[in-house]
Amino acid sequence: MSRKVTIDPITRLEGHGKIDIFLNDNGTVDRAYFQVPELRGFERFAIGRPAEDMPQITSRICGVCPTAHHMAATKALDDLYNVDPPVAAKKVREMLYNIFIIEDHALHFYYLAGPDFVVGPHAPKAERNILGVLGKVGMEIGLKVIGTRKQLRELMVLAMGKAAHPVFGLPGGISKPIAKTDQQRFIDAADRAVEFGQFSLQLFHDVVLKNKTYVDHILSDIYTHETYYMGLVDDNNRVNFYDGNVRIVTPEGKEFSRFAARDYLDHMAEHVEPWSYIKFPFLKQVGWHGFKDGPDSGVFAVAPLARLNAADGMATPLAQAAYEHYFETLGGKPVHHTLANSWARLIELLQAAERMRELANDPEIVNPEVRSMPVETPVEGIGVVEAPRGTLFHHYRTDERGVITAANLIVATQNNAARIAMSVDTAARGLISDGKIDDGILNMVEMAFRAYDPCNGCATHALPGQMPLQVRVYDMKHSLIQEIRRD
Amino acid sequence: MKQKTVVIGLGNELFGDDAVGLLAVRRSAQIAPGQADYVETGLHGVALLDLLIGYEKAIIVDAVKTGRHPAGTILDIETGRLNPIDNPSPHFTGIPELIRLARELNVCFPKEILIVGMEVVNTEDMGTEMTGEVVAALDQLTERILSHVP
Repeated sequence: MSRKVTIDPITRLEGHGKIDIFLNDNGTVDRAYFQVPELRGFERFAIGRPAEDMPQITSRICGVCPTAHHMAATKALDDLYNVDPPVAAKKVREMLYNIFIIEDHALHFYYLAGPDFVVGPHAPKAERNILGVLGKVGMEIGLKVIGTRKQLRELMVLAMGKAAHPVFGLPGGISKPIAKTDQQRFIDAADRAVEFGQFSLQLFHDVVLKNKTYVDHILSDIYTHETYYMGLVDDNNRVNFYDGNVRIVTPEGKEFSRFAARDYLDHMAEHVEPWSYIKFPFLKQVGWHGFKDGPDSGVFAVAPLARLNAADGMATPLAQAAYEHYFETLGGKPVHHTLANSWARLIELLQAAERMRELANDPEIVNPEVRSMPVETPVEGIGVVEAPRGTLFHHYRTDERGVITAANLIVATQNNAARIAMSVDTAARGLISDGKIDDGILNMVEMAFRAYDPCNGCATHALPGQMPLQVRVYDMKHSLIQEIRRD
Repeated sequence: MKQKTVVIGLGNELFGDDAVGLLAVRRSAQIAPGQADYVETGLHGVALLDLLIGYEKAIIVDAVKTGRHPAGTILDIETGRLNPIDNPSPHFTGIPELIRLARELNVCFPKEILIVGMEVVNTEDMGTEMTGEVVAALDQLTERILSHVP
């Protein structure tokens, strides 16, 4: 008898999602679907509002990565008003943005990936959480993580007004300069962040890379897809989170295209599937040929693994050394193993910390000249940043008063949607062979997308402690025959 | 100077009734400034730990959707009654998990945490329109918050 298995909602994922697994009569997987409820109504909501409100409005879309939306919106406003911010403003923006990357990546590694890699995918479910992680590595590390994040968030509040909803970015600059008397705080925090980045990579080496089972998981075919990769790079093709050109490499690792954010519509198009609300972006020049690997499929990936593949190296020395070790260990560029995202994320964390340190020590960041006034009539603006979860595009059109007439957001999880769908399907097929679906197997299916750290944009409306995981098994007629709950 | 009590409004002003916690905390801050620290936030999960550390008492105000009460009903939720979930995420790390984590880490964390919720209707569609019953009960929610502020 064919069965349908639903995992809804998914644990340890930013936002809501659902997996449906359809089983054949012989207990193997016919097809697994990863469904993402798309953000509803944003375009409609934005129309008729002043473009200058977008950094505030879009940062409220989600409590998880508000700074990424705030910065993409701010950069779209620079473009909309054709205004170039002063050097100090750009440097302060980049420093704050790197601080955000550090604290967000730390959150992912210790809270989301940690349970899989530190506690282990087959550990009892009650241990697969942050407390289980701390039980293994020591409570003092928990204090280190919380202390480092808290210090970074306090600096974000100092510079941006609010960590959750920054009131900071303006077209042509930022709302206030960094006070000279505060510079040392940034320097001290940056030193601590670099040390934290090195410590986290060492922890990954000691706990994950020295454990053959975990390394086998990373290298396993069920977590591997050969696709194109996208990421922002600087003039030297090094990873950059705040600015640069979008670079795409082929599944063989060769440069496929390199373009300014403004031209993204020449390179990307969107495919729609009847079973999902989300649109699946693909490479226009290759075309949509289904959920397939290889150079003939327009599917591409974003996020840490993709960024490292799309660049020629890291922009800072310690991160560069870690980058070289990464590719040596995993068999050269590009790396196609989805679970290697976690390692790539820590290398990025280290680069963000080193870049923060460079900028914190730069005398220019306390220059009070932080605003170029916009004087041109607005028409259209496009901004791009690397959100922790991948490339994020904001695109606005306005009337001559700067009132939005059209808005389009392509968020990181959307860019990754096709590859995430492939990853879930492949993992389910590889892991479920005889109709046997236990908690450990479900968790390993979930690991396939958790590595991307997908964020589906949502409100803060779940009553704490009341959001269980539900696994529902249906027969062919969609009658419920079994229900497993994780309360 | 930091107060002993923190009142935290959770929510998102762009998702209809989800704004109710933020609005009630904003009103409370206007009526009784200086008696507590008032925070409006869209943060959730472990990020809330940053906001709670260092206080003796916390009052968390949020929209609640149980479907079991009429819209606008105020619900006092004792944190002791909430069951921790086994597989928390940063997104869904609830108060019980935060309490457990804080206890394990031995950080200075409120001994008393109250959750004041209001039953709402729509928190899914983007927009600033709120349900009439929810708006009508805002004053009552503010009074309830203030009754817990020392």
